[in-house]
Amino acid sequence: MDLLLQILVNGILLGGLYALMALGLALVWGVLNIVNLAHGALIMVGGYATWMLFTRAGIDPFAALPITAVALFALGYAIQRGILNLVIRAPMFNTLLITFGLEVVLAYLAQFWFSADFRAINPRYAGNNFALGPVTLPTVQVAAFAIAIGLTVAMWLFLLHTRIGRGIRASAQNLVAARLYGVSPKRIYALTFGLGAALAGVAGGLYGLVSQINPYIGGPLTAKSFVIAIIGGLDNPLGVIVGGLALGVIESLTALYVGPTYRDVASFGILVLVLIVRPAGLLGRTA
Amino acid sequence: MNVPRVAGVGLIVVVPVVVVPLVAALAALPWYGGPVLLQFGIDVLLMATLAQGWNIIGGFTGYPSFGNSVFYGLGAYGVGIAMAQFHLPFWIGLLAGLALGVVFAGVLGLAVLRLKGHYFAICTLGLAFVMTAIVSNLPIAGSNIGLVLPLLKSEVLFYELALGLLVLATLTVFWLAHSRFGLGLIAIRENEDGAAVMGVNTTLYKILAFMLSAAFTSLAGGIYAYYITFIDPVGVFDVVLNVKMIIMAVFGGAGSVFGPVIGALVLSAISEVLATRVTSLASLFFGVVIVVAVVFMPRGLAHMSAHLRDAGWRYFLDNVRAHRL
Repeated sequence: MDLLLQILVNGILLGGLYALMALGLALVWGVLNIVNLAHGALIMVGGYATWMLFTRAGIDPFAALPITAVALFALGYAIQRGILNLVIRAPMFNTLLITFGLEVVLAYLAQFWFSADFRAINPRYAGNNFALGPVTLPTVQVAAFAIAIGLTVAMWLFLLHTRIGRGIRASAQNLVAARLYGVSPKRIYALTFGLGAALAGVAGGLYGLVSQINPYIGGPLTAKSFVIAIIGGLDNPLGVIVGGLALGVIESLTALYVGPTYRDVASFGILVLVLIVRPAGLLGRTA
Repeated sequence: MNVPRVAGVGLIVVVPVVVVPLVAALAALPWYGGPVLLQFGIDVLLMATLAQGWNIIGGFTGYPSFGNSVFYGLGAYGVGIAMAQFHLPFWIGLLAGLALGVVFAGVLGLAVLRLKGHYFAICTLGLAFVMTAIVSNLPIAGSNIGLVLPLLKSEVLFYELALGLLVLATLTVFWLAHSRFGLGLIAIRENEDGAAVMGVNTTLYKILAFMLSAAFTSLAGGIYAYYITFIDPVGVFDVVLNVKMIIMAVFGGAGSVFGPVIGALVLSAISEVLATRVTSLASLFFGVVIVVAVVFMPRGLAHMSAHLRDAGWRYFLDNVRAHRL
């Protein structure tokens, strides 16, 4: 029983991070109607940025997260402004393909600069943990969970209550009307993609803290983010939290009861199954 | 849409004057080309077959499959398991892989071909990841270590097999472009509801197209497995390979007969030249080609060569203008 409880807690902690990973993908998908296949690669870049700041500049990884976020925001803004805005009205397949091209380029550059070795961000306190009743909680994972959930909620409030957030939601609903009310689509699209990239960047930094990064983690992470977005729907960032927690718990339970090598079978099997059974998403509108 | 319409007279001239001598020259390559050229030839022919296979489901039917690498992997594992585990001849493995791929496409097609757009693309992408994970857990497939096949040092055989398969695939696509079945697929691509109203059995047509695509892809995978003599799950279910077939088909002209072959040849040649200088540069090249091609020539070489003469450089700007914000 204690083991099951521990596994559930582990799954929930992992799920919070998954939610943050998926949030950026869901945001970009919902507003720009682009399924960003380079999203996982942006997570990977965020992981390396945090890793660099920690190992080369000696900045505490948690303190480095805001810097990573700003850097990734700039990268995302530039990608949207310089490349994706050029094809935004092309058929869906073209935007899908071009983001895959970006993923290939980012993975290549990461491999070129950082080699294909696995890297982990290991601050001094990496091994710390504390007990809460029968379960043990690793400090870093709890902190990562708290940041992930906090950012997801903050993003929701931002979209609901700020001027830019309203502009983003308006563009998602009706671009023409939003333009008439003075929203500049070029800027708002670039801002949205930048925000998505910044969220991916922070998720990547946290991922590097709780797991390992290498240049090729992007593809599977994109697919996982997509599963979560499908489960949670695009309407509401809180749906993403539900999706993330669900995936985290399912993966942990699979690892316990079927075997650790079946984790990916479970998460991608769910992707295929959910799509086949309920392509419109489990909780809300998806496209 | 951009299927090149060869006029009746043109066809009579083009086939004997260009196509037949070209294929004959290619078939004779082992007798005048060096071993490097032969190996490059096998790679290009297999890639072209994969691009052509993708063309059937992605180009003609308009369903952008990211899961064709699954069929490739099944074909490779059909040969791998038959030869390494049961010591059966290559031909039986090839047929087993073919059967695996086609049946898989048929069963799965029933479910996934109901999805459209993003959903179909990502669902097939997910399938590729699922298959990698499943095969990594199968002892009969060598788990995540892989299978070592008996070595056959006969590059001529592999070359001729690959060439034969490509010719067969291209003939099939040529037939598609001119048959009732193929026109049905194009109708599905252009407007699926409209095609259904006009009496096209869309479910059946889509599944048949998926199975046809799977057939060529799994055969190519089977040949590759015996040629390379080692297969592992990450290698043969590689999603990047799937993206390569897509970009070769799209670069050459998806939905055309010869576009994917030309796309595969051009891109493989450039990437081969790059790879001899800096090994890893080839993968960067593919990424850059995807981005540049989607922005400036999204309809491929076939469409570009038809319109470039009239429009000149404006052709590229017009493409950008048509799709930018």
